[in-house]
Amino acid sequence: MTEPGKGDAVQDEYPTSDPNAVLLPQPTAWPLVLALGISLIMAGMVTNVAVGILGLLLSVAGSFGWFFQVLPHEAHESVPVTGEEIRSVSTRTLMEREHRHPESATPRKILPVETFRITTGIRGGIAGGIAMIVPATIFSLLKYHSIWYAMNLLAAGGFVSWAGASDTFLSQFHLQGLLAGLLIHGLTSLLVGLLYGAMLPMFPRYPIVTAGFMAPLLFTGILYSALGIVSPILNQRIDWFWFIMSQIAFGLVCGFVVNLQTRVRTPQFQALPFAVRAGLHSDQDERTHQTPTNTDEKGISK
Amino acid sequence: MATHAPVTDSVVNSAPRRLVLEVLHDWVTTVDHKKIGLMYIGYALIFLVIAGFEALLMRVQLSIPNNHFVSPQVFNQLFTMHGTTMVFFVGMPVLFGFGNYLIPLMIGARDMAFPRLNAFSFWIASFGGLLLYFSYLGGSGLYGAGSAPDVGWFAYAPLTAHVFSPGHSTDYWTLAILLSGIGSIGTALNIVTTIICMRCPGMKLNRMPLLVWLYLVMSCLVFVTVSPLTAAQIMLMLDRYLGSHFFDTQAGGSAVLWMHFFWIFGHPEVYVLILPSFAFANEIIPVYSRKAIFGYPAMVAASVGIGFISLSVWAHHMFTVGMGAGANTFFTLATMIISVPTGIKIFNWLATLWGGKIHFTASMMFAVGFLFQFLIAGLTGIMLSVAPFDWQLSASYFVVAHFHYVLVGAILFILFAAFYYWYPKMTGRLLSEKLGKWHFWIFLIGFHLTFDFMHIPGLEGMPRRIYTYEADRGWMMWNMIVSSGAIFQTIGTLLFVYNMVWSFIKGPIAGPDPWDAWTLEWSTTSPPPHYNFAIIPTVESRRPLWDLKHPDDPDSHYE
Ligand code: HEM
Ligand SMILES: [Cu+2]
Repeated sequence: MTEPGKGDAVQDEYPTSDPNAVLLPQPTAWPLVLALGISLIMAGMVTNVAVGILGLLLSVAGSFGWFFQVLPHEAHESVPVTGEEIRSVSTRTLMEREHRHPESATPRKILPVETFRITTGIRGGIAGGIAMIVPATIFSLLKYHSIWYAMNLLAAGGFVSWAGASDTFLSQFHLQGLLAGLLIHGLTSLLVGLLYGAMLPMFPRYPIVTAGFMAPLLFTGILYSALGIVSPILNQRIDWFWFIMSQIAFGLVCGFVVNLQTRVRTPQFQALPFAVRAGLHSDQDERTHQTPTNTDEKGISK
Repeated sequence: MATHAPVTDSVVNSAPRRLVLEVLHDWVTTVDHKKIGLMYIGYALIFLVIAGFEALLMRVQLSIPNNHFVSPQVFNQLFTMHGTTMVFFVGMPVLFGFGNYLIPLMIGARDMAFPRLNAFSFWIASFGGLLLYFSYLGGSGLYGAGSAPDVGWFAYAPLTAHVFSPGHSTDYWTLAILLSGIGSIGTALNIVTTIICMRCPGMKLNRMPLLVWLYLVMSCLVFVTVSPLTAAQIMLMLDRYLGSHFFDTQAGGSAVLWMHFFWIFGHPEVYVLILPSFAFANEIIPVYSRKAIFGYPAMVAASVGIGFISLSVWAHHMFTVGMGAGANTFFTLATMIISVPTGIKIFNWLATLWGGKIHFTASMMFAVGFLFQFLIAGLTGIMLSVAPFDWQLSASYFVVAHFHYVLVGAILFILFAAFYYWYPKMTGRLLSEKLGKWHFWIFLIGFHLTFDFMHIPGLEGMPRRIYTYEADRGWMMWNMIVSSGAIFQTIGTLLFVYNMVWSFIKGPIAGPDPWDAWTLEWSTTSPPPHYNFAIIPTVESRRPLWDLKHPDDPDSHYE
């Protein structure tokens, strides 16, 4: 990222020769007068013309007053700097830490040094979405002898006019159905992947377990109870056995893909000693995958 | 870095008491972002009490069937004024107030970019509120009909047409909102400019506190949403006085047009209110978990994403007008998609809490309440986003329960958290933790009594905005419970007000940095001097105060 907008402007705008004073904008009532004027113009519309005229006068006066506050030169007042220096210290940790853990170099616990990128979840979602097609197609073939049935059924969720469609209709090829089905399926897979990617850093250890079983389980549970409301058409015809099969296919492939990805090193990696970074020493005791913490109070009993 | 600042206990003013008039003059003419922020907050709190009182009256009226505590006309005015006030004259100003106060301090600046515009925006918005309430006196207009506005907070056409709403009550509503809109645009412009141009050296965009990021997104949303609202209000005025027919179905206009205009404002508006709430959570949760926020870049991306998506969901408020299957499907999907970035945020907050050493101060307790309640509110929102489900429940008490779960359970809770967290910075004194915890528990009970049970009469078909109901509907017990919760909430709020007043006089001195926090506002005195920082700070990481406190292990090594 670039470095826009460094705020030196603050100092340049109010230069001061006196180190013990700061120039600040001068207080003024003109903005208040203008605001009152405009409000009275509005109020004049619902009360009496006289109120409106008063508002107009105040607005003109307020505008002029305001102009002269800033033109030709912005009006400033000089505020003396008073008082003493304050120092920011952390009362809670600093002293105690030096006391009890003189050897510990950092007051913080290291975050997971490795984690997954959020894009990992998206990739998993895409791969899982593709994998899901296999059981869905098998189901269509076995039950309706057409590879299009599952796709059309999904699309029917979006087309009110397909609500009463027959099984034969849904078994035929429809370009519309293909496109809508692909869109719904693709978008959902992507989003589930994204959500999963956001959750990954919290469960970095066994993604295949969370993705393969937990996620489909949760997802199916929610859908099972909600589908009747979300898409009654789908609900009437859905075959739960095959539906769950395709969910699990999604989860397993998604988890597998996530597992394949290398973990990225978080910036915290740099904080490890050189020997660890070079791979000479283990960093096992520093790694805390389950508890992504860098609390500043770890190891300090208060 | 160290800053010059007055001695801490200068809070105790030893100078001879200045004349009241002089103090008043100071406040009226001020262009200081801190004073303006405080005025915004104070003004919002006054309206909070007023609109809260209106809600109480409504709950009394509805607590038993066939009640005639207020008249039907007054009831219509009550819900209109309550909604309008809470959205435009409580929610917006209190959030703008915190933004005004905190943004310059957090980015190491001495004031907002346009200090005079800042004062102007505050005053014009506050006059808007006064004008709205003046309608109680002047609303009858020439015809002697009506008084306060009674057309509901979204003022659907054709109810607002001159034939159905004679007199001036609707005009007061229109003009008040126009004025408040001018103020909102002014302050939003100021916030965006300040964030872009006034950051201290080293404060790159990716080092800004998340609060600042969220206010940036929120202000951009204000630009795009207040404009259609203003346009619609002007069209309504033209309809009412100059004989145009924008919303007049009899003459070829369209009532649905108003709905589109209103909700294209209205939905993003609710995000204008929730984004600053996220902002507070982003600052409060890490500090009391003693950990840096988890997933900063993802949080920024999610916030910007929410900003964009929230612009494409407005018609989920219009499923019942018969938009057709295509539009219904689109708005259902768009609404559901918003749960993705929102989910990312919730996960990141949980990950921040996870393994942290959590300090359960009153502020943190409210923040945890926010997390939990926001989650539930989001879930009822997703339920409502499903068109066929919404056909059953639109305009029922289920919807009322949904949005109050967000507005009270999430926004008000995190606002209370923000008060407990920043009050010491603003006044120099700590709020009482003990009273704060009482406040939390009492308010929590009241909230759940009222708004959990409000879902049920909604599911049983109780429409919103009804004046009273028959005893045989089965809604009686639920309404009784809902109303009794309001009592607890009132007691909790009174405790809070008492705490603020008492602590202002007697509270323990806070010192510059009572929470051992990491953002720049804690590096100066409490309250900060007029100029904020004697020396403009330079920052090297997202947590400049961490770097100061731990020079041997600065954050800049890690980012
Ligand atoms: C995940 C997020 C959310 C979803 C999916 C959602 C969904 C919905 C839907 C579908 C409705 C329309 C119900 C109807 O009128 O039939 C609605 C109403 C409403 N929502 Fe939400 N919502 C969400 C978050 C929020 C937030 C964050 C706020 C406020 C800050 C909010 C405030 C409101 C309000 C004020 C209304 C009702 C407006 C009225 O009719 O007067 N919602 N919501
Ligand atoms: Cu909405």
